[in-house]
Order: sequence, then structure tokens, then C-alpha cells
Amino acid sequence: MTQPAIKVEDLSFSYGDIEAVKNVSFEVMPGEILGFLGPNGAGKSTTIKVLTGQMRPKSGRAEILGRETGRDDPEIQAQIGVCFEEKNLYLNMSGLENLNFFASLYGIKDPDAMEVLRRVGLADRAKDRVHSYSKGMRQRMMISRAFINKPTVLFLDEPTDGLDPVTSAQIRTTIQEEADRGAAVLLTTHDMFEADQLSDRVAFINEGEIVALDTAENLKLKYGERSVKVRLRDGEGVREEHIPLDEPGSSARIAELASSPDLMTIHTEEATLEAIFIKLTGRGLE
Amino acid sequence: MERTVSRGAILRALLKKELIAYSRDKLYLFLTLLTLVFVLAVFWIMPDSVDETITLAVSPPVETLIAEGIETFRAMGVPEEQLAEIAETDLAEESEGVDLVNFDDVAEMTAVIEGSLEAWRTDAGDIVLRDIEAGDPRPADARRLSVDIGIAFPEGFIADVVGGTERVTVTVYSDAAVPAEIENAMTSFVREAAYQLAGRDLPVTMPDDDTIVLGVDRAGDQVSYRDKLVPMLAFMILLIETFSMASLISVEVLQRTVTAVLVTPARIADVLAAKSIFGTGMALAQGLVVLALVGAFTAENWWLLLITMLLGSMMFNGVAMIVGSAGKDFLGQLFYAMAFTVPLILPAFSVLWPGSAALWVQAIPTFPVLDALVGITIYDAGWTDVWRSFGFALAWVAVLYGAGLFTLKRKVESL
Repeated sequence: MTQPAIKVEDLSFSYGDIEAVKNVSFEVMPGEILGFLGPNGAGKSTTIKVLTGQMRPKSGRAEILGRETGRDDPEIQAQIGVCFEEKNLYLNMSGLENLNFFASLYGIKDPDAMEVLRRVGLADRAKDRVHSYSKGMRQRMMISRAFINKPTVLFLDEPTDGLDPVTSAQIRTTIQEEADRGAAVLLTTHDMFEADQLSDRVAFINEGEIVALDTAENLKLKYGERSVKVRLRDGEGVREEHIPLDEPGSSARIAELASSPDLMTIHTEEATLEAIFIKLTGRGLE
Repeated sequence: MERTVSRGAILRALLKKELIAYSRDKLYLFLTLLTLVFVLAVFWIMPDSVDETITLAVSPPVETLIAEGIETFRAMGVPEEQLAEIAETDLAEESEGVDLVNFDDVAEMTAVIEGSLEAWRTDAGDIVLRDIEAGDPRPADARRLSVDIGIAFPEGFIADVVGGTERVTVTVYSDAAVPAEIENAMTSFVREAAYQLAGRDLPVTMPDDDTIVLGVDRAGDQVSYRDKLVPMLAFMILLIETFSMASLISVEVLQRTVTAVLVTPARIADVLAAKSIFGTGMALAQGLVVLALVGAFTAENWWLLLITMLLGSMMFNGVAMIVGSAGKDFLGQLFYAMAFTVPLILPAFSVLWPGSAALWVQAIPTFPVLDALVGITIYDAGWTDVWRSFGFALAWVAVLYGAGLFTLKRKVESL
């Protein structure tokens, strides 16, 4: 049986009296993308900081590749890649120099930094200093830095935050490629579309607690409402009707409307992750 | 996947990164080069010889005093041959390094010393007084005299001295800015003159000296400003390096790049070691270059200078780590840098102006380093002269370096 790449059991962390993470438990298997979905301040980044050894947990246990996490474990740290929410790059160094420097910290003698930059679309700016990069380019640089050591475990903290749709799509593609290669990916985001599109499973985190964890499909089935939206002509205007599929008599009502001469469109509807999150927590993702 | 990396490889990577970051910090690179050029320029501009001539005002004129003395001695029956010898006495000539300016009136002399009147000497040797407030014109073909100290002899004082009068008071006037050493020198001059004329000491009060003179008392064998500047130059380089290193640390902390480094196999100890080695190395290298350029090294002192500069570099690097950890932005860093480094550089100024330093200067951590530097570069001190300073300096290095490492470690851990 395959061992989980990330295993977290009853993990808690506090900033003074404020409990940022409360008894969180989850696992991420190799090749799996687990989306950590929650609003700002929910505890997503804190969980990553504990897992990457930047902070020590107050209680509970966190393992990476079967070893307990900690700041001074070079063997674990050699296997992980981290994309921080803040763009902490060496601005006075070029993109290529940044990657080569970090590769040397991992003991990689001949890093194919240009290939990594090519994957994120920065090969033509490789020798330019990072301070001349746009926000989107810096974010791609952050992603490429996380990939430089071909990590077994990837921690990506809001990797597409504030980016344009095209750049976001590029970054999502590269993340999926890493998972396809076999890397376990823990992706924190408050973008429900990103979580839905990329994640094999999604964990809803709110006020430091995981309130739901499953595949996006199962969450929708479990907590969402299946319905059909029908639009009909109504004199000069348009009338909409939502018909829940799980209620008795819904099939007959749909058949009736489908045969109506006023029918304009008919669509099936499924719950969004955001709607489910609101339903479970009583608050939105922003 | 098994992947290992040695601590040496990590340290090399961090040092290479520090060098790149340092070489691309244009502000501090500019400041470093500017300081190097500036201090070397100042060094070569400074005179390499000492002008020991002191301008001394006397009232009444020396000739009057001698004439009075001759009359007194003649009345006492001193032979004419001896009186002729006294008449030929030239005090100014016999007192090497003293430029005598004669005043008929004590009030005029004190006015010149306090600055309300100017004294000018014409090419013919005459003294012309100029009252600026009264609108006196600048004297032609004359140079202004800087008279900061003067001696007023009482009327008939030689007769009183020779005649055995118990109290003969000679008053020494000096400007407030005149160092105590000069006052002492003048007092000695008066004593010498008194012995020469009357074979008797005069009641001139010696000022108490509670100040520190760095190095050896070399009365009559003074050190030129250029030589005195050597320790100052070395300290200026260390100071600029403190700013540079603090800036590098501050940027790393504020931009949190150090956090990215610490999720790799690099440990916090590697980061601290790299900062220590790079900061100390850069300061030491530049300090040694400056000392070499000003010709401070000799076959005998090179290893003592090396130890001294190493201690100084480590001390300032410790300060840089504290400053770099504390500053939240450029201005904050500048504030902390000034707050820490200005007191540390005070002992270097005391070398330029001996007598300006007080006992508390000895309590400044850089004092033993500077004391050793002064001894080695100016007074050819050897190991037996400086080992005590090295001991104190080492203790201060342990304190400041330890504090720097502790502060930076705490800061990085808190990110």
C-alpha cells in the first residue's frame, strides 16, 4: 500500500492566545492535489508553515514522507518545494541566478534551470534581474523556484493570487504536470474555481478547523442541490423556474415545461464549492 | 529519492549569493568606493610633518624685560661683559619652536587672545593691531598671527625676582580652546625663561590634567596628522562596511528571502555562518587594503595589524547584525546604525585631538582595538605592548558578536 506523502494528525498551532489551527487531520497521497479552500485568516498558510518546518506545532503530529517535520531536517527539506504567498525572491539577482542559487542549496550540481524557466514561460527573461519582472512574472518565478529540486512534496500557497486569467491558467497547467509526475501537492487557495479545477480532493478550512474534506464531486453531491433552471417567455419578459431534482414530482414538472411553446432554455445546475462552503460555514471565501 | 548536500556546499552557495547581492547594492558599493577614495585623499592631503612652532604673546616686550634686568644687575655690580651677554640674549631664538609676539600693553594682548583685536606682522617684522569693529583696514604686506596664549610679566619683575621678593606673579592668558598640553608647554617656557634670567622658579599655576592621551607621551616628538589619521581611516572603512552589511541583512529579513532559504536543506546556522564570514571578510579585506595603501604595514607589525583588524571587523559585523535585524526600513536602519556606530567611532577622533578624550572613552568597546591600532601604526608597538588591548578587544568581540548572532537568529526565527 502506498504511503501518504503528507500525514497530519490532530495538528494545532496558536499565535499567543489565538488558535490558528485546531486539531487538523488529513493526508495527501503521491500524485494527489489536495486543495485547502478557505477565506483569508482561516489557517491555510499557518498549516503550510508548520508542515514546512517554519513553525513548530503546539500539539499533534505532522509527517512528510514518513518523517516528522522540523526546521532542521535537511533530508525532508531536500524533498519539498515551497511557493510562498509573499514573493520572497532575490530582486537584485536574475531569474536564472535565483534558480541556480536555490539548486545549489539542494546540492544539485547541474540544474536545468533554463528548462524550468521555459516551463513557466520565463526563458526569454532568464538573465534579467527579478526587480524588472512584472507581478505575474514574479509569481511564475516563485513557482519555478518551487520546482527546481523536482520535489516529491509541493506546498503551494495561493499560487495564482491576483494574477490574470491567462497567467493563472499557465500556472495551473504546470501544477498539474508536477502532480502527474508523482508529486503530492498541497494547494491553498480561496479561489473555488481553482480548487475545483485542480484538486483531486478539497478540504474546507474555516477558523482553523477542517469542516469538510472530500472530492469536489462528492462534496457537491453530499451538500449541494441538484436542480434544473428553465427559462420561459412571459409576455414581453422572461420567467425563470428552478426545479430541485430530488423532490417528488420534479420529473413531471420538467416534462411539462419542456413541452411548453414558451420554453427558451433548459439547464441542469449543480452546487458550486463556494455555495457549499457558505452553507457549511455561514461565510464566504473572500 | 535520496539527496544529500554537504554543509560546505551550502555555505559556499550562501557566500556566493552574498557576494552577488553585495556587488549589486549600488548605494553601498558607491559609499564604499567613495569612502575609500575620500579617506585616502584626506590621508595624502594631511601634512606628514609637524609644525611645532607656537605663537606666544609677551607683555611687556622681551627687550623691555631684558633692559630692566640689565639695569638691575648693573646696580648689583655685575661686570659689564656679563651684562653685554645678557643684552645679546635672544629668547625667541633660544626657545626653539616658539614665535614671540611682543605687546606693550597687557590689555591689547588679552584682546588679541580673546579675538576682539587682530594681530598682524608686517614683512618688516612690526606688529600691527587691527580693530575690525572700528573699521580698521586690513594691513598691507602683512600676515595675521594666531595668538592663543600670552604671558604678562609684572613691571620690574626681574628686579623683584633677583631682589628676593617673595611673590612674583606671572599671569598666563589663554583662549578657551587651547588644549591643556599647550598651556603646559607655555608654563614650561616661562619656567625656562625664569631660570635663564634669574635662576629661580616662578609661581605659575599648572592646570590639572585629567584627560587621556592615547599612546605614548611624545613631547617634542609629535606625530603628524597624516600618521594620526591611519587608525581613523581603518575605522571609517569598518563603519561603512557596517552600514553595507546591515543593509544586506535588513533586505534579507524584510523581503523574507531568508525564509525561502530555510525551507531548503540550509539551516539557520548556515545562514548565520555565511553572514558572519562574509561581513567580517569584507570589512577585514577593505581595512587591510586601506592600511596597505597608506603604508601602515611593516615586516614586524603585519601580523599584529591583521589581528587588530580582524577583531575590529568582527566587532563591527556583530553590530551590523544587530542593526540589520532591528531596522524595519532604510531610515530605521540608518537610525540604528548611527546610534550604534557613532559611539564606537569616538575613540578614533580622540587620536586626532589628544586631550579631547575622557576616561569614559576607555569603556567604549572599540577603545582597545583603537588603542592597539594606534600603538602599532604610530608608535611601533609590539606584542608585549598590545596583548592587554587584544584581551579586552576579544572580550568585547565575544559580547557584541554574540549579541549580533542572537538578535539575528531570533529575528529570522520570528519571521
